[in-house]
Amino acid sequence: MKRTLQVLNELERGGVIERYAIGGAMGATFYVEPLLTFDLDVFVVFPQSAGNLLSLNPLYEALRARGYIEEGECVLVEDIPVQFLPAYNPLLEEALKEARQTLYEEVPTRVVRAEHLIAICLQTGRDKDRERVRIFREQAELDMDYLGGVLQRHGLEGKWKQWTP
Amino acid sequence: MDTLIPEIARLLTAKEARRHKLAALPFPEKVRAVVCLQQMAAPVLRARGRKVRVWTLDNRAAR
Repeated sequence: MKRTLQVLNELERGGVIERYAIGGAMGATFYVEPLLTFDLDVFVVFPQSAGNLLSLNPLYEALRARGYIEEGECVLVEDIPVQFLPAYNPLLEEALKEARQTLYEEVPTRVVRAEHLIAICLQTGRDKDRERVRIFREQAELDMDYLGGVLQRHGLEGKWKQWTP
Repeated sequence: MDTLIPEIARLLTAKEARRHKLAALPFPEKVRAVVCLQQMAAPVLRARGRKVRVWTLDNRAAR
């Protein structure tokens, strides 16, 4: 995973992506017990100059040029299937902007904040998201004031109340 | 049956404590634990027809 993150950092330095952050189950694992996943979900925002800010094509081309091939919905980057998800709404844009800077075996990287991961679960709304919210509440150290702000800004307070009786 | 209840409660509490202990591990250790979970789950998922790939962590030369 160290090499995978180095490749993501190189793409960011090279301007292929403006910013990235780890989300999904691996993002959640940063805050809670290890959760089974086979993909590394990575949220990305593209530079303004890229034109279509939601198209993954330029990123896929840059990865292909480095020898990384697509495998289903993912790209195999240093043997790890990475699923890239463009920031397609204000919640994801905010999550990327405010992602937490950290180190993975000396490699700098970013992980989406726990409060944003919860909001993304609420927005996505699947059964497994509901279970993940439960795990977050049980195990993660949450900034409840910050979470309240995120939920309010993105219209998720009702869903939160519904899921956390 | 009643005599089992405190024992079960103790087991559940211990299980909960272990999950909190796991949550507190450093991120790289948790990633290694995820790969162990992948190794355990992959044969079951493959038997059900799902294509999954167990991650290789970086103990090899960089590209």
